[in-house]
Amino acid sequence: MVQINFATREVSCKIVYYGPGLCGKTTNLQQVHTKAPTQLRGNLTSIATEGDRTLFFDFMPLELGTVAGMRTKLQLYTVPGQVYYNATRKIVLEGVDGIIFVADSSPSRRQANRESWQNLKDNLEEYGLDLRDVPLVLQLNKRDLADAVPADELSAELNELGAPTFEAVAVTGDGVMPTLRQLASMVLGRLNDQRSRRPGPRPAPVQEKPAPTAAAAAGAPAAPPATSGPGARPAPFGRRAERVVEPVVARDVSAAAPARSKSEPARPAPRVTAPKGPAVQVGGAKAAPAAREVGRAARGAGTATLGTTAGEPASAARPVAGGPSRRSHYTLAEGSRKAPSRKKVLVIIGVLAIVVVVVLFLLMRGR
Amino acid sequence: MMEDERLRSGRLVYYAEDIDRINQILDRLLHLSDARCALLVDKEGHLITKRGEMSQGFDDESLSALVAGSFAATKEMAKLLGEEEFSVLFHQGVKDSIQLTLVADRALLAVMFDDRTTIGMVRLYANETSTKVAELLKVAAQREPLAGMGAEFTAEATKRLSDVFGGAEEEKKEKREGPGGKPTG
Repeated sequence: MVQINFATREVSCKIVYYGPGLCGKTTNLQQVHTKAPTQLRGNLTSIATEGDRTLFFDFMPLELGTVAGMRTKLQLYTVPGQVYYNATRKIVLEGVDGIIFVADSSPSRRQANRESWQNLKDNLEEYGLDLRDVPLVLQLNKRDLADAVPADELSAELNELGAPTFEAVAVTGDGVMPTLRQLASMVLGRLNDQRSRRPGPRPAPVQEKPAPTAAAAAGAPAAPPATSGPGARPAPFGRRAERVVEPVVARDVSAAAPARSKSEPARPAPRVTAPKGPAVQVGGAKAAPAAREVGRAARGAGTATLGTTAGEPASAARPVAGGPSRRSHYTLAEGSRKAPSRKKVLVIIGVLAIVVVVVLFLLMRGR
Repeated sequence: MMEDERLRSGRLVYYAEDIDRINQILDRLLHLSDARCALLVDKEGHLITKRGEMSQGFDDESLSALVAGSFAATKEMAKLLGEEEFSVLFHQGVKDSIQLTLVADRALLAVMFDDRTTIGMVRLYANETSTKVAELLKVAAQREPLAGMGAEFTAEATKRLSDVFGGAEEEKKEKREGPGGKPTG
């Protein structure tokens, strides 16, 4: 979710590179890090295994400078592509504002591309998002392979939504910046949109959705191939947006939106509503008295390290499964959240009092 | 419940007044707990504000992303254990330690401290701070949604993107040379 901070005059957007393992997501980010002006880019942080496979995510902040008086920043993330890391992949997707799907042009990776694409849709659904509602660009990487799948064929397999498509050779940097630029323009153009994310309930098992590829094939207009031929090239900026997200230059919502000056806009008056419950609500189970909170914290605390640990991790990243009914199996956790009885409190106080008396007695005796 | 949903997932826009109030609360936290610095980070990894002394070369953007990622990872762990989420995390270092506290299911309060203070002190005041900041976030969530950034922002953004990423000239160069820098045709 784009963060707009009028106090610090900053706009910050989250962009995620997604795709199957070893498709070139991290390479894309490394190339952006290399090519972007030094004064505009931050450090490239990678949480990876010793074999340089992304374990959690890569991250790099990139500034665009001041836009209409607002310091505009892109936060670029990549996800781990390996199937095993779906849980962490889902985490990185939270709050995403735009996605670059990097497809591997190798013939042996076609199935992996399709699975990753479906995985993307599934993970977005968990956040109540539809891929159609998120700015998306498709990058066909590894176009330098001798046996690369033809671009139009690869695009037809994946690009049911008609997203802008770019060919790339990420290891050399070709196509990397145009891809990012296109997505960035879509994300920033969307800031004219009043939509804010409304999460839906966790979706029921897919039953009634129409087969997207069939529907797209039947109903979608015949999209021209994104590129064709070995020397073919990404279409110029602004002509590729065939999906519902409109190109930046075409939108003008100024009739609806008040004109923005470079100074802080007038704030809408806050809606004042009488609190319906406790004045402070930090979420049901967490609004606990201090004693319980410390207890919970003590249970959850410890020296946790976010590791760049060697080798593959233990099976910690299993996909989340089950629902609220699982909690009934964990009676210990449930019981600890109940308020202690008065009798127990009195017993504890009594014991403490005895301990204090004994300590004082020993101190006096020692004198 | 609708308000909670909005707080959890709606776009929050911060104004100077909001940040000033949050900064005051954070300053009080640092004063009382004797911690070194405090960051308020959106759960999605965006830094909202920071207060206190910062060591040199302190990359607060990367730290914010890592804090959010770390917290999100432990949330998944908590679910596996039957908990909704862990609301407090503590990472202990040799000299400096960091405590993360969930704020209104929307933001994270990261407090860095050294041996001038204790984890108990930090935790005590961090919990109070979390409660106060949560109130402010709720107020921000209740505002009418921002009516977009305006056409001027969009137009300038387009131009700025061309400056940063290269515009038509670079695309023409690629067209002539093709991927890999090899001339086409």
